[in-house]
Amino acid sequence: MYTSIKEIVEAAKTRQKRIYELAIEQEMEMTKATYDEIWERMDKNLKTMEDAVKRSTEGDGVFSPTGLTGGDAVKIKKYRESGKTLSGDLMMLGVQNAVGTNEVNAAMGVICATPTAGASGTIPGVLFAIKDKLNLRREDQIHFLFTTALFGMVVANNACISGAMGGCQAEVGSASAMAAAAAVEAAGGTPEQSSHAFSTALQNLLGLVCDPVAGLVEIPCVKRNAVGTANALVAADLALAGVKNLIDADEVIEAMYQVGRRMPRELRETGLGGVAATPTGIAIRNKIFGKE
Amino acid sequence: MNVVVKEKKVINYKSCFDVIGPVMIGPSSSHTAGALAIGLVANKLLQGYPKKVVVKYYESFAETHKGHGTDFAIIAGVLGFATDDRRVPDSIKIAKSQGIEISFIEETGESPAGHPNTADIYLENENRWIRVVGISVGGGLIKVKHIDIDGFSLDLEGSLPIMIAISEKVNLELELRRILKSYDVEINDSLYMEKNGKYLYEFDLNSQLNDEAREELNKLNDIAKIIIL
Repeated sequence: MYTSIKEIVEAAKTRQKRIYELAIEQEMEMTKATYDEIWERMDKNLKTMEDAVKRSTEGDGVFSPTGLTGGDAVKIKKYRESGKTLSGDLMMLGVQNAVGTNEVNAAMGVICATPTAGASGTIPGVLFAIKDKLNLRREDQIHFLFTTALFGMVVANNACISGAMGGCQAEVGSASAMAAAAAVEAAGGTPEQSSHAFSTALQNLLGLVCDPVAGLVEIPCVKRNAVGTANALVAADLALAGVKNLIDADEVIEAMYQVGRRMPRELRETGLGGVAATPTGIAIRNKIFGKE
Repeated sequence: MNVVVKEKKVINYKSCFDVIGPVMIGPSSSHTAGALAIGLVANKLLQGYPKKVVVKYYESFAETHKGHGTDFAIIAGVLGFATDDRRVPDSIKIAKSQGIEISFIEETGESPAGHPNTADIYLENENRWIRVVGISVGGGLIKVKHIDIDGFSLDLEGSLPIMIAISEKVNLELELRRILKSYDVEINDSLYMEKNGKYLYEFDLNSQLNDEAREELNKLNDIAKIIIL
């Protein structure tokens, strides 16, 4: 089993394999499941992501039971259609998909955790943004997800992927790095470039706290996924341009873990710090759950 | 008598689908899907519907269980629902309509399991009671840190899958190991306990059991209670 990004890059290079091939190989070995079973399961995950994105822009959009979030994916879509976006259509399509997925999540709809539900918009955000530009067939999109998974397992086993343990850097930070690495591979980059994209993306979000208003997965989670997607696209482009990250991916993972360990509990998914502790954040909590 | 054997380094996330997945009802993988998974462990240990459920929360779970849907998720697990079952958000209503008595307690102290996402679940029906302390480590994955069942009290490292066998027969261990080996399932850790003429065997497994392996283990049901978590 691959326990470091370095091992993944080495194996891909020496064995002349794509990273998703290594992921599927490892999955068969670890779970004793057949190739077809594993493929079908990832296909179901992809289908879930497609359905969530689709649902987010139907009618006026989806709204959470609290009404704090919802409808923004529809607004972003209309804005995109106006052709006036500052950061370009592909970038804003990614943002729209990320926001839409997390709006469905906040509305207690069906999503695929990637790696978590709070960070569930980031990876589909990137995948569905680059899909048309790179002409990714359905099988290529499934490959993309296997690549994110192999990188994600290294983070999960060496550091953490939960906001309660490591803050949002462990959730959206990890998702963004996983997506960046897979986007590079999908665009034809080398395994090393995937690794540089991964470390750049995670490094850029180090220190990000988990501060959910009223303990809900709405503010700031939905928009954090927009930035997770944008950050992944930037990191992937940097790596594909040949820009390297001098701190290697495994060291950035360890740094993320160490930062998480030093984060006070108020900033780790307790809803007691960050924007959750602002006057408005507290007022929202009191309105929804009553005064404590 | 307790014997703990460390046989291998523990890896929590063993599958691609531990990080890409599960397909679930939102809003939180650790506080909703993970909580449901802890409830499901309680369901498997009790092997039936409870009359009474008591859930104690610690730390992040205590602070955010309302906003994250942890309450309905745990009860959905106790009722045996899957993470993507659309009845998940309505589980408390469903349980209450079946006369199940439910209480949630927010503990203010530190988690006894040393993790911010800790739930301690007690289930009781006419015949027996069980207790499980689970932690939700991220992405829907859980660890089972403590179990009380049939008079046995187990402290565990807690990575799933875990197999528990309870029997009045003394020499079951060799047979269980033989079956696991024949399906190429490695054992990371094992635990053996004896109390009032009953024997409990617990195995931390390195990979999931396939259907054939489960079927073969089920054949032992006459002489042992086999629980696969």
